[in-house]
Amino acid sequence: MPIQGLEILQSSASLRGQNSALRQTPFLSKYIDTSTCIGCKACEVACQEWNDLPSVPTQQVGTYQTLPSLHAQFWNLIRFDEVEVEGNFAWLLRKDQCMHCSDPGCLAACPAPGAIVQYTNGIVDVNPEQCIGCRLCETGCPFNVPRFSERTGKMSKCTLCVDRTTRGLEPACVKSCPTGCLHFGTKEDMVALGNQRVAQLKARGFANAGLYDPPGVGGTNVVTVLKYADKPELYGLPAHPTVPATVKFSKRPLRWLGLVALAGTVVGLVGHYLRYGPRTGKRSQSPTPPEGKP
Amino acid sequence: MTTPRTSPAPEFTGDPAIAAARTAEDVVVDGRLVRFRWSTRVIHWGVALTFVLTLLSGLPIWTPIFGWLAFLFGGLQVCRWLHPLLGIVFSAFILLQFIDWAGAMRMTPADRRFVRLKSFLAYMRWELNEDEVGKYNGGQKVLFWLSSLAALGLLLTGVVLWYPQFFGEGLREASWLLHDITFILFTLLIIGHIYLGIVEPGTFTAMIKGTVSRDWAKLNHPAWYRDVTGERR
Repeated sequence: MPIQGLEILQSSASLRGQNSALRQTPFLSKYIDTSTCIGCKACEVACQEWNDLPSVPTQQVGTYQTLPSLHAQFWNLIRFDEVEVEGNFAWLLRKDQCMHCSDPGCLAACPAPGAIVQYTNGIVDVNPEQCIGCRLCETGCPFNVPRFSERTGKMSKCTLCVDRTTRGLEPACVKSCPTGCLHFGTKEDMVALGNQRVAQLKARGFANAGLYDPPGVGGTNVVTVLKYADKPELYGLPAHPTVPATVKFSKRPLRWLGLVALAGTVVGLVGHYLRYGPRTGKRSQSPTPPEGKP
Repeated sequence: MTTPRTSPAPEFTGDPAIAAARTAEDVVVDGRLVRFRWSTRVIHWGVALTFVLTLLSGLPIWTPIFGWLAFLFGGLQVCRWLHPLLGIVFSAFILLQFIDWAGAMRMTPADRRFVRLKSFLAYMRWELNEDEVGKYNGGQKVLFWLSSLAALGLLLTGVVLWYPQFFGEGLREASWLLHDITFILFTLLIIGHIYLGIVEPGTFTAMIKGTVSRDWAKLNHPAWYRDVTGERR
């Protein structure tokens, strides 16, 4: 739900962008350190409680994971992935949620004016009053995050606790985390914290440790420290996420090509009528009789 | 003694050619040629009406420039559920039209000559005198096949967009792109079709009353005219 007083940087399906940002504010980011997550799920509970989301029956998927994937009423899921890395067993825990991309694919895909907005602080939010429930954001999102609610007929996802963060509070999940693997602050600070932690991990033998902040979507405002950042697929993250090229093409060049073609055809046919008039049916070999011929 | 009131047998005072056009086709009645029987016209108007409604309810979803069209239906939220349903009704009508017309729309050598760029451009300058044009000219036949193909494409891609949860990411992206490209090309064709249907006196009437004049038939569909009237060239 859009927050009064927050300025909007980008708005879906709005011709001039509806950019109401007079001031520049730094992007806010959440820092997730997967290497210190203990899988206690306190963040899951805090998310449900703060956002007052009705509970979803848990599903046994063979691990400690609460649900197979995110749900319209479950925006924060700890994934428990059991994988083999470099010949060893690894138990990877990752907090799955909306990544709050700087260049959000959901917003690009959305056809409803103002249904998905990005505030000047970088948070990507859904406005259910404008959402038409078409589910095109699901196709636009490279992280498979937006979820359609059968209950409301609309899309829903993590808001980065915009109602808390605009009032100077950290998101509910960060507040509840007992190990300090979650932090909240400006993007700059969180990236610095992430790089520091990556250096520590590298010093401890995790040569491929890295900070997941993919440039294909302009960077994300949820930055994730991964021990095996060379293989983000192990954590269920795409290696090179981008807003789908087809979505971008459909949204901009094709739309303008189509409009020009439609308008051009109508104008062309008006011109045709002015030049050739109605087809009267009077048969004549040529409009002007040829001269100088027998 | 009063004479019993007897009413005379009701006398038909309508247009006999239109009356014949309820069921008959390709006959001459009262100096008019019957071109489209009632069922053909109903099907074609069903296709036309549902095409326009589906297009108008889809355009505001395509781009916010057409956002105002959403208010014809009660807003974008209404368009979102109405558009696919209208699309289904449109598909049903175009299926009926396909069954009705597929046989008549087979391309002949004369039709292939008609749709060559040079002769089609001559036709658009009202300068083509093709004596072998049958009931439908090559352009109409090509339009028929392209429309049927486009409608099938819109239906298949539309179902994917309607129920994205059952399809993979690649299929959803491709369907979105194809749905947009197809509807743009289809709409361009239909704009041209409507133009040709109204720019020539007698053509629009053919789809309303079902009948055409001798002169109209001789000009536009000479081979069909000869078939129906038995006249020689």
